[in-house]
Amino acid sequence: MIFENALDFFLRMDTAKMLAYFWPFFLLDMTRYLLLDVVVISIYSVKNWFQRDKIERARRQLYSEKPLVSLIIPGKNEGKHIPRLAESLARQTYKNIEIVIVDDGSDDDTEEICRKLEQEGKIDRFIRNEVRGGKASAANTAMRFSHGKYIVHIDADSHLAFDSVETILLPFYMDPNIGAVGGDVRVANTGDAFVTRLQGIEYMKAISTGRTVSSELGILRIIAGAHGAFRRDILNRLHGWDVGPGLDGDITLKIRKLGFRVVHEPHAVCYTNVPKTFRALAKQRFRWDRSMVRFRVRKHRDILLMNSNFSILNFLASAENIFFNLVLDFKWWIYIIQIVLFNPSVLEYIFLINLILYMLANYLEFLVACALLHSSMRRRDFFLVLYIPLVPIYTGIYLRIVRTYAYIMEFLHGASYMDKWNPWKVSRVVKREKL
Amino acid sequence: MRKPCLVGKDKQVVPEDVLSIELTMIESLDSQDVSCWIVDMSDWRKGWQKIAAIREHLSPKVYLRPVVYLHADNSMPAEISKAADGQLAHGLDNSKGLDELSSRFEATNQWIDHLPDPNAAVDANIAFKVLRLIASRNNVQEPVTTVRRKSGYVYPILEPLFSKRDEGALETLEFLEAQKLISGDFVSKAHFCSSCSSAFINFKEACPQCGSDDLNVDELVHHFRCAHMAVMSDFKRGSSMVCPKCDRELHHIGVDYDKPSIMYSCNHCSHGFQEPSIMTTCYNCGRSTEPENQHTRLIRAYSISAIGQNAASYGMEALFSKILDSELQLCSFDAFRDFYRVEAARIKRYKKSESSLVMIALRDIDKLYVRLGGRATEVFAELSTVFRTVLRLSDVITARNESIFFVIMTETSTTYAERAVERLHEGIIELLTNNLDFDPDMSSLIKPITVDMDLDQTLEAFLQS
Ligand SMILES: [Zn+2]
Ligand SMILES: [Zn+2]
Ligand SMILES: [Zn+2]
Repeated sequence: MIFENALDFFLRMDTAKMLAYFWPFFLLDMTRYLLLDVVVISIYSVKNWFQRDKIERARRQLYSEKPLVSLIIPGKNEGKHIPRLAESLARQTYKNIEIVIVDDGSDDDTEEICRKLEQEGKIDRFIRNEVRGGKASAANTAMRFSHGKYIVHIDADSHLAFDSVETILLPFYMDPNIGAVGGDVRVANTGDAFVTRLQGIEYMKAISTGRTVSSELGILRIIAGAHGAFRRDILNRLHGWDVGPGLDGDITLKIRKLGFRVVHEPHAVCYTNVPKTFRALAKQRFRWDRSMVRFRVRKHRDILLMNSNFSILNFLASAENIFFNLVLDFKWWIYIIQIVLFNPSVLEYIFLINLILYMLANYLEFLVACALLHSSMRRRDFFLVLYIPLVPIYTGIYLRIVRTYAYIMEFLHGASYMDKWNPWKVSRVVKREKL
Repeated sequence: MRKPCLVGKDKQVVPEDVLSIELTMIESLDSQDVSCWIVDMSDWRKGWQKIAAIREHLSPKVYLRPVVYLHADNSMPAEISKAADGQLAHGLDNSKGLDELSSRFEATNQWIDHLPDPNAAVDANIAFKVLRLIASRNNVQEPVTTVRRKSGYVYPILEPLFSKRDEGALETLEFLEAQKLISGDFVSKAHFCSSCSSAFINFKEACPQCGSDDLNVDELVHHFRCAHMAVMSDFKRGSSMVCPKCDRELHHIGVDYDKPSIMYSCNHCSHGFQEPSIMTTCYNCGRSTEPENQHTRLIRAYSISAIGQNAASYGMEALFSKILDSELQLCSFDAFRDFYRVEAARIKRYKKSESSLVMIALRDIDKLYVRLGGRATEVFAELSTVFRTVLRLSDVITARNESIFFVIMTETSTTYAERAVERLHEGIIELLTNNLDFDPDMSSLIKPITVDMDLDQTLEAFLQS
């Protein structure tokens, strides 16, 4: 009944009316996420096909040069994950690696576990900081005591596909102007729960497709800490990471500011474990979203200013992100107010039609992701297609509420200065000096 | 009434209530007459030779007797000044002091007197002498550290017994403890070189990659505001600390920076690490190895046990033969002699079969436990197994002491007996020489059993050879 009425309502509209009722979908999301993705991924795939020889040349060059690559893994209380990670690193196709683990003041059995692995030669160096200093300082410790020409940052609770290190290094051998390469982060525990399946779809869409598109457009703004490769000479110039939160995005932007390209490599796969409950997921996203406001709007304000260092791509990389994440987040509330105030009588039709539109869009996007990633997808990843009808509620309602709340908190209180990410002594200095 | 006796009087004037005797004649004194030996320590090195000679003496009435220092001064090493049972502070012309000494040593002297035949007994076995010394004093033998001995520890009263060799005291005590003859209380734990037994070992930190001990230790510094992390030397600029990343000066630890850990770096291979490996080098033989490859030993304070008190008085029995007994059922020498007579008569009557008398001497067996300490019993048990596999149930075995064994092999020609002895020899060589690098002095003699042969004479002749 309601479906028939809704369909009838939709079909009897003219273009102007349709835009008036569904402008967020047709004007913003469809253009940005759907049309752009289809076009860019198609171009990317065609380009890659023509570049087959170039990729093979890069691979041969990598293996003839065989540079030492430092895999650095900073973390606190991550000891339980390390044996498995070390194992996945031992099986890498690229062998000239050193594994450096930094323990940021763990208070569990991380030290015993890692010292043993160090003695057994399964990791090359284990450095323990007795006092916690925060994630940036741990990454910087690892950087200071590693020797590789390239540094690959890996999160302890993730593991790499067997050819991941090799694959993430290839872009450096295709373009000498590339300063950092982001690896593809996929959900390891998709099978664990309903919420992990939804995240599995989200990661494919936002990270695999989203970052490949950004990368192709030259506006990639983040290299995930879970799996990112950096040139050491550039990290040395930057003196490593700055105080978090948001240190991954921060270092990416700094590399861009130095004039280097930053790209995403969708086939350098890293599997990570995601929160298994909606509650835990809300907490994680709250932290991530706050850091977005902080480091982009506050710290890298200069990117948006038209000064002598101005670069249009850097401007776009930041502006796009701020616009789509921040401004568009509020557009939704404007949209809701508009519908409630002016069209209360057709509220349920509009809701239903939006749901269907976004569902169809998600199917198409999943198709795009599969086209891009099929060679490195697991069998069970294809079955995620069954959950797509629920994705619009997940991203459109659940995540949006969390995000809005985070933005408001950050703007009102600058709450992330007092985050749990960093020890209190660091947060205090950062807040005092308004970094 | 016993009197103190000055050993080697030289030119001293000896008062009436003090005996005196030259060292070479010391055994001629009757056990009942002497309360203690007085040794002049005005030249302590010379005095020390006398004490060593006294303790190394084989007669219990000599080596067990308390020793008192005369003219002792502070120049001698601590373990030597403690090696005596007492000191005569005011010289020989002090009859009250002398009487006091004599009464103080009465218990020990009575203990010596109650031994079976104290005037004629001969104690050649060093472990037995140690046991008797401890039993006669009936106090706790405390270890004392020293740099004059490779072992690092000495037991002062026992020390003169071991003056001619540089090891053996700790091992002998361990052996006695393993036999439950003495009991030990924990004092300390010490490392010993596994190749030369020296206690003087240098422990040092070394690079886990190349083994070099040329290391730098540097503190790690964390600058809060910029998350820079580097060793202290990177921050040093003159007398102040400046962050190389953000160029700010560091002021207060805990406020704007801290030192979360330390890093080692190797000057030889430039490896950076936090857990240096530990290496040990022996001062005596120069061998370097990881600490776990060195030998650790518990250093204990020893006192006599009830079994030990009994064994010290009436003899330890032959210790190896005791173990052998539990494996093979040794018979007493009297029973052995009876059996010999019967067997000789049987052979004479039937004239059909032959049996053999086998005499075996394993002479250095007592050196084994001086070397092996508490582990000697295990080796003795294995040695017993060698005997058991070679000998048969019908063989009759007796032990004269720890190292002399007699066997009657019934229905066995001398040729077969020789083969058996050969196999025994091989088994012993295999165990002691190949496994422990110990060369036992083994000899044997095989005779056919006849009524004409006098058993006692034959055995005595073998013992003399
Ligand atoms: Zn700094
Ligand atoms: Zn080294
Ligand atoms: Zn040595």
